[in-house]
Amino acid sequence: MKYKLEIIKNKRKIIGFSTVLILLSLLGIFYSTFNTSYKKPINLGMDFVGGNELRIERVCGEECSNFPTDLVLDNLKRISKNKKVINNIKLQFQNNNKLISIRTPYLSIEESNNLITNIDNIIGPLNYESKDSRLIGPKLGKRLLINCVTSLLVSLFAISLYITIRFDKKYALFALLALFHDLVIVFGIFSWLGIILSVEVNSLFAVSLLTIAGYSVNDTVVIFDRIRENLKSKKEDYNETIQLSVNESFRRTTFTSITTLIPLLSIILFGSYSLFWFSLALSLGIIVGSYSSILLAPSFLLKD
Amino acid sequence: MKRRQVWLFFIIFLLTLSVYLLINYPLQLGLDLQGGSQLTLQIIKEEGKVTKDELEAVNSVIDRRVNNLGVSESNLQTLGGDQLILELPGEQNPLVASRVLGKTALLEFRTQKEGTSTNLKTLQLQRFNIKELIKQYSSAEQSQYDDNFLKIIQDDLKNTEQELNYSSTSSDLYGKLIEIKKHVDTEITNLFLKTDLSGKDLINAGRRQEQTNSNWEVLLTFSNSGGEKFAEITKTIAGTNQLLAIILDGESISEASVGSQFANTGITGGSATISGNFSAENARELEVQLKGGSLPLPIEIVETNTIGALLGSKNIFKSLYAAISGLIFVGIFMIFNYRILGFVSVISLVLYGFFNLALYSLIPVTLTLPGISGLILSIGMAVDANILIFERIREELYDGNTLTRSIDSGFQRANSSIVDGHITTLLSCFVLFLLGTNFVKGFAATLGIGVLISLFTSLNCSKTILRFFITYQSFRQKNLYLTRNNLPN
Repeated sequence: MKYKLEIIKNKRKIIGFSTVLILLSLLGIFYSTFNTSYKKPINLGMDFVGGNELRIERVCGEECSNFPTDLVLDNLKRISKNKKVINNIKLQFQNNNKLISIRTPYLSIEESNNLITNIDNIIGPLNYESKDSRLIGPKLGKRLLINCVTSLLVSLFAISLYITIRFDKKYALFALLALFHDLVIVFGIFSWLGIILSVEVNSLFAVSLLTIAGYSVNDTVVIFDRIRENLKSKKEDYNETIQLSVNESFRRTTFTSITTLIPLLSIILFGSYSLFWFSLALSLGIIVGSYSSILLAPSFLLKD
Repeated sequence: MKRRQVWLFFIIFLLTLSVYLLINYPLQLGLDLQGGSQLTLQIIKEEGKVTKDELEAVNSVIDRRVNNLGVSESNLQTLGGDQLILELPGEQNPLVASRVLGKTALLEFRTQKEGTSTNLKTLQLQRFNIKELIKQYSSAEQSQYDDNFLKIIQDDLKNTEQELNYSSTSSDLYGKLIEIKKHVDTEITNLFLKTDLSGKDLINAGRRQEQTNSNWEVLLTFSNSGGEKFAEITKTIAGTNQLLAIILDGESISEASVGSQFANTGITGGSATISGNFSAENARELEVQLKGGSLPLPIEIVETNTIGALLGSKNIFKSLYAAISGLIFVGIFMIFNYRILGFVSVISLVLYGFFNLALYSLIPVTLTLPGISGLILSIGMAVDANILIFERIREELYDGNTLTRSIDSGFQRANSSIVDGHITTLLSCFVLFLLGTNFVKGFAATLGIGVLISLFTSLNCSKTILRFFITYQSFRQKNLYLTRNNLPN
């Protein structure tokens, strides 16, 4: 039988490659944690720290006039009373100057309305029907963060428990190793994205990590099942049987990953912007998850 | 043969039922899809947990206030034991709601301590001054403010601080103004003694415009016992220089004297008016708060999300594009790789979509953006099961088995690993649903429901459809199931 995937030969390369990925991810996480300007392992978004996020479109034709953000901020400083907000405001133009996106510390609804009125006065008219405003108090943010971390830990525990019951110890350990490998890498990628592009993670990121966990374990379970089945029935060499099983399930695993990636890709391309990073995290997780299920987890099982 | 037909009819019946449900019970759209505001109210309790009774009490007060505000189609629900979520669909400004809901609205009636008249007069004057300063400052903010003007306000503020012998700690001017006003309010309140009459003794509240000017006044109607208490209180201070203060949340909103003509009976009739320079809007807000009663525990608005209607409908279209294009591309991929089998999976996918949506309208599940992404993601996962089965069927065919046999054993052998594989995803969904926020729950619900339905559609539906297909001779050629390079040589 001709193998497409030579995992016996490439065991070292596979494990080496994963080690490099893990180290890079950890580097990002540590860099982010110990750097004075980030101080957290990942760039926490408004969901977790509280604040005010506002997106609103300007009413203008095909092209909106270019307006330097500094000028807007200067004007805002002149007419706003709330100095605390004005000194911490972040303002951006997007979509050919049409969309204004603003971040400030937490504001009351009244203060937020005042801010919008002020902005309307400077670069209006604004289309209020296109408004997207979120105000999150710092207390709630902290609570959400605790909530998300708890959810992650509880479900990781539940999944670990399930695998340990389902497989014997050796398989369970390797399936879990592969799972943590996937989660650390996705987390690391977003740490780096936070450092380089100031991408923030919100509660949907935690959801994507959980979904990745479920999905990745699922993939590994299918391949390990195949290996167990073949080890029982076939009399061939142990390593050969594992390689055979991997190749037998290769098509199935890549195909299911592709069919899951296709809808995610459609969300990235056509979906609402608020789902962009969420879908990207999920897609990355599924890619890394398939890799670890097909190549990494079975490599652990190989005997030297 | 008969059993297969029963399944086929059952599936057709379910499909008809789904279409019927979807037409008659339209899907509920979340605020991110239809536009509107969502406020999260946090109950504040210094010590211990908020009990169920307390939550219920806060909920009913807020509910009454919301109803009296006259917002249409609002939805109030409790969340996680100490939070309430209020949804205001459409272009309704959350500002008024937040002002009315956020206040405790604790109404007290107090009588002035003896010998405090001079003290009160000074404080009343200072209160007037500080209110004027705040007014001027706010109007300055509307127009461009000028530095000289600010200087005047600052100087005035300093004078007031000296008179009060109080120094404010806030960093910005506006904060200082508010802080000093609060200080004056407390000082005034302290000059009055508590009575046993409070907002609990009200049975109704109303408002009307004063006859002499454009200001509004708020009318209070007491219960029987409340009316008696009010008469008793007014009787004791009638004709003296002690005033009666009406205090709302620690701030005195009216101080009035009671004429000597009431010295015998007190003010009877069981009603009172508060006339404190209310604007129409303020009077209405106070009316709503008093009608709803005071909150047993204070609340704080911790989150406000507002989505414009236009953005909401854009979100719907974007999600539709994403869902349909996802479905089409997955369909193309499946037909390309699995021929007839792929076509069968496309049919089960369409069924899957209908069943899902029908279940959303039945349960009902409110569709939100994360919810839709859960649904779209579950499309991919629903096909997973089909792929597992089809790969088995291909292997069986490759080994030279007959079509019927291959199909039967393909479904049978893939069964366990499909159920198994879905368990981990369901576990994650379950945890997310239990612990997640409202936002996250939507995703967990649709993904979870999706995974469960996909077990039915990918196992039963595709098997039934496939068996129906192979009753026709022309669908029984093996090359319709295997691509050329996968055929045995």
